[in-house]
Amino acid sequence: MRWMGVRTQQLDFAEFYRSAADECLRTVLVSIGDQDTARELVDEAFARAWASWRTVSRHPAPEAWVVRTALNAGISRWRRRRREVPVPHPAMVTDLPAASGAGASAGQVDPRIMAALLRLPERQRQVVALRLILDLDTARTAEVLGIAPGTVMAHLGRAMAALRHELQPELQQENRS
Amino acid sequence: MNDTELSTAVRDSVAGIHSATPVGQIITRGRAVRARRRIPAAAGALTVAAGTALAVTALLPSGQPALRPSGHPAPGSDPAAVRLAAWTVVRQANGDIDVTINQLKDPSGLQATLRADGLPATVSFSGPALSSACQAYAASMDTLRAVAQFQATYLAIDPSALPSGTGVAIFDDPGAGLPSPSANTPTHGNPPSGSQPHRPGPLATGLNGPLAVGLVYASPQCTG
Repeated sequence: MRWMGVRTQQLDFAEFYRSAADECLRTVLVSIGDQDTARELVDEAFARAWASWRTVSRHPAPEAWVVRTALNAGISRWRRRRREVPVPHPAMVTDLPAASGAGASAGQVDPRIMAALLRLPERQRQVVALRLILDLDTARTAEVLGIAPGTVMAHLGRAMAALRHELQPELQQENRS
Repeated sequence: MNDTELSTAVRDSVAGIHSATPVGQIITRGRAVRARRRIPAAAGALTVAAGTALAVTALLPSGQPALRPSGHPAPGSDPAAVRLAAWTVVRQANGDIDVTINQLKDPSGLQATLRADGLPATVSFSGPALSSACQAYAASMDTLRAVAQFQATYLAIDPSALPSGTGVAIFDDPGAGLPSPSANTPTHGNPPSGSQPHRPGPLATGLNGPLAVGLVYASPQCTG
């Protein structure tokens, strides 16, 4: 019976992983800006989720648990290394080659939008990632980040305004052409 | 551009990103995480149950040969053969003492061997973790890790890292929660002659099993 239970848990976790891994990876990527680091952190977070699957599976939003764990792991890693996580300087980011057409191709991000996201303050970027990519509501986003719901809404409003200011001319021109 | 269009653009910007790690790899990693977590968890349990401040636990695989090339075998075993013995103690050139435990048998023999190698030690594979003659020493986790490190197949002890006046306590941790094998599960290899009857338990069947280490105040009654 025990082994049946373990097998069921594995299938349950595998289904969760398949359904949530991409969204969690994208969320962490937008939050921290580095794809390789995001993959490492998300893999580690899912491993921890499996290690605590009895608890995590009962979490109201297990994907939020994974993202929060990944972000916390990123902070811990940064503290251990005692050095800044290399985030591209805005001047470098704007020189990234433009993507062909709207959106991103397989395995790539849209460099214009990622550049605009990286110019946001970190907290605003995290709010954007959780609200828009992971599709969490305001309350859950506030819980993940440990801030007040009102602060989430304020960060999101400012982030959207900044992104609109940066991206509107380009995207409108793209739509016309 | 309204909020919906902007949100869609942000989502589309990373839509090409997909996780490429197989779920099996995640699960394997998760098992390692779970094993690592049991170190502080067992430490807390020991504090409550035995009054010991700290302990570390780890999983020791039992299906490993007890002899390693640089080591000496358990008493009574053949050094040329590679077969399972209850335990092996190896004194390394740097002073470290490596202990490989495959079966929870002959604790007094292991204890005597460790003491003969100059390590103040008490070993218990049944009953209370510490005898009444022993008093737990409240060490920090850093100190404990400096003294004892669980490696993949053995326990490495650095006697030089022991705080003054302390010794090592090695004991099993039956509350670790691993599945108990059925009584008729075959063991691997030949246990040393004269050993206790087979004790069903994770260590004896090729599954992972628990073992714990803590520090005690050294005394003739406790650590020899």
